[in-house]
Amino acid sequence: MKTKRRVVTAVTRRRDYPGPRPRKSAIVGPPKTAPARRPAASAAGPGRDPIPAVDGVRAAAVDLSVDLAPGRPGTLVLRNPVLVASGTFGYGIEYGEVVDVEALGAICCKGTTLKPRAGNPPPRVTETPAGMLNSIGLQNPGVDGVVERYAPLWAGWQVPVIVNVAGESIEEYVAVVRRLDGVPGIAGIELNISCPNVGKGGIQFAVDPEGAGSVTAAVRRVTDLPLMVKLSPNVADVRVIARAIEEAGADAISAINTLSGIAIDRPNRRPFLGNVYGGLSGPAIKPVALRVVYEVAQAVRIPVVGIGGIASLEDALEFLYAGAAAVQVGTAIFADPTVPLRIIEGLRAFCAAAGVPAARELVGLALPGGRRRTPPSVQGVEYRP
Amino acid sequence: MRLLAAELIEGREILPGQFLQTYDAPHLTSARAGQFVHVRTPDYTGLVLRRPFSLNTVDRASGTITIHFRVTGKGTEWLARSRAGERLEMLGPLGRPFEVDPRSQHLLLVAGGLGIAGVRLLVDEAIAAGRAVTLLFGAARAADVYPSALLPDEVEYVVATDDGSLGHHGPVTELVPDYEAWADQLFACGPFAMLRTLAHQAAGRDARLGVARLGRRRGGRTPAPGTARARRRAWLQVALEQHMGCAVGACLGCVVWGTAGPVRVCREGPVFAAGEIAWEPA
Ligand SMILES: Cc1cc2nc3c(=O)[nH]c(=O)nc-3n(C[C@H](O)[C@H](O)[C@H](O)COP(=O)(O)O)c2cc1C
Ligand code: FES
Repeated sequence: MKTKRRVVTAVTRRRDYPGPRPRKSAIVGPPKTAPARRPAASAAGPGRDPIPAVDGVRAAAVDLSVDLAPGRPGTLVLRNPVLVASGTFGYGIEYGEVVDVEALGAICCKGTTLKPRAGNPPPRVTETPAGMLNSIGLQNPGVDGVVERYAPLWAGWQVPVIVNVAGESIEEYVAVVRRLDGVPGIAGIELNISCPNVGKGGIQFAVDPEGAGSVTAAVRRVTDLPLMVKLSPNVADVRVIARAIEEAGADAISAINTLSGIAIDRPNRRPFLGNVYGGLSGPAIKPVALRVVYEVAQAVRIPVVGIGGIASLEDALEFLYAGAAAVQVGTAIFADPTVPLRIIEGLRAFCAAAGVPAARELVGLALPGGRRRTPPSVQGVEYRP
Repeated sequence: MRLLAAELIEGREILPGQFLQTYDAPHLTSARAGQFVHVRTPDYTGLVLRRPFSLNTVDRASGTITIHFRVTGKGTEWLARSRAGERLEMLGPLGRPFEVDPRSQHLLLVAGGLGIAGVRLLVDEAIAAGRAVTLLFGAARAADVYPSALLPDEVEYVVATDDGSLGHHGPVTELVPDYEAWADQLFACGPFAMLRTLAHQAAGRDARLGVARLGRRRGGRTPAPGTARARRRAWLQVALEQHMGCAVGACLGCVVWGTAGPVRVCREGPVFAAGEIAWEPA
């Protein structure tokens, strides 16, 4: 894996956009020179977006940057709002030459626990209609392993790496985050709270406002790293949880994690996955994810990062309109690892064509009252499972 | 590993429901036996995962490769219907190959059903290197037996069928003891149960034969498990199949239990020394 690669932008296309009224905007991050490296096969990706003809704003001048921790200025400003989702991109090195990681907005690494975990019995993945189920079971080398094996590498990258953290007790989350705090190469924390809280009879942190709030607060006390908390969709009213997390001091909220599901092995008449239960991801969950983002964006003031079934520029735009400040791409990477990079380039071209100088101006356009998200809406949820 | 489009040159049904397709993919012809490609299905919103296929044969001169698959679902159904000239996205070559000990002259290959696709390239490699190859092939019935016309003449081809309609009547693993003394190494691909039986047979082989052949046991450091050297020294290597997500080692979806912890079939495998796999997980 190369380190220190330059930021990738659409600068090389400049001559295509004579831009009658080029607008200056703040571009965060180091100078941008290298052309986007696009493997040839990207021509037929799931995210093959029609790139709009460009006039208005010069594509190179479009500001894609997003601040995911506005409460701690300058600590987590991404060059673009497209991240790769935890568990689908390993530790940033597995895709090797196929993906230019330095062009991504940020990388969320695989869930990290205090001790190494072997994960769930196989089989662990299976395709389902418009999606897939996974039951990896948080296999990971433990926080020490992650810090020793990967952090030194990440420290040489310009792309921020956010460590996804999981645990079965507040103490475990705290211990993991303590170990990560101050380690060069670690740009932030994403708390995966869809884990059973052993101290509270196994009820998931994510489904309990009190549990979600207390684990967030406990972690907040031990680190100044930007802190993002990841919501589970498997709850009755996600807004209550989101508010508890915001009040506990999180810098951002990401949503959603997978939906709980099972698959049946018909010939053998038994559950297919070794662990019986799995998490559903992919296009099948996109409407659920959009609903959660739409609700949470109105319930909190901190940035919301949309996740769930995103595979194209159009999907990403829908999440931005629904109130997401940024998006994460997960399952779509398996079909086409170049999807995140193509969404970034597509977004740049889209903004240029639409005469939008900064992508953040698209955020929340579909919310009631447009972008004016403050004060948070108190509108009710339309549907409760 | 590269991500590139490959053009379908021709495809045909070689057995009921089983297809052999040739693709123009010069970048994949450097692949070795045991490695695989991850093929993109057309409609992402419906089929979200790629499909892994063994590199069945490669032809460097013409820059082509073949894959051999059975129609088992929507993805393979679509693949079987693809027409010459269509371009498919392939990620590869992926995974680790079979490792033949340079001293091995007699190779025994065992394939169960579609597992033939996992060892087929090894046949070509071994023959090109001047080795003698015996291929034991097992299928349910005569109609499913891999056509001998698709194999090089140099191979000794022995068939077993479950119903006795062709060749040996019974599991293909029953043929193995006859070749144990002749063969220097054994390579297999097929259903997990078949591979497990072979692994159990292999465990008792040293005792049955008395001395290890080729001086394998004489002196020298034992190579670290999981390395190419360790596999090269093994009597039995197996190519495993597993459902996959990423196929590059990122998602941990293809893991099986190894004797030293979880192993990724796409990255540490698909070829393993039999001793690396926990055949009877607790
Ligand atoms: C194979 C796999 C492994 C995952 N592992 C994790 C994990 O360790 N921690 C986590 O917070 N989310 C994990 N996720 C959830 C994803 O990060 C994401 O929230 C979810 O897949 C929905 O997005 P998608 O539809 O774009 O995949 C995993 C998802 C998949 C498919
Ligand atoms: S398929 Fe993703 S790790 Fe093997």
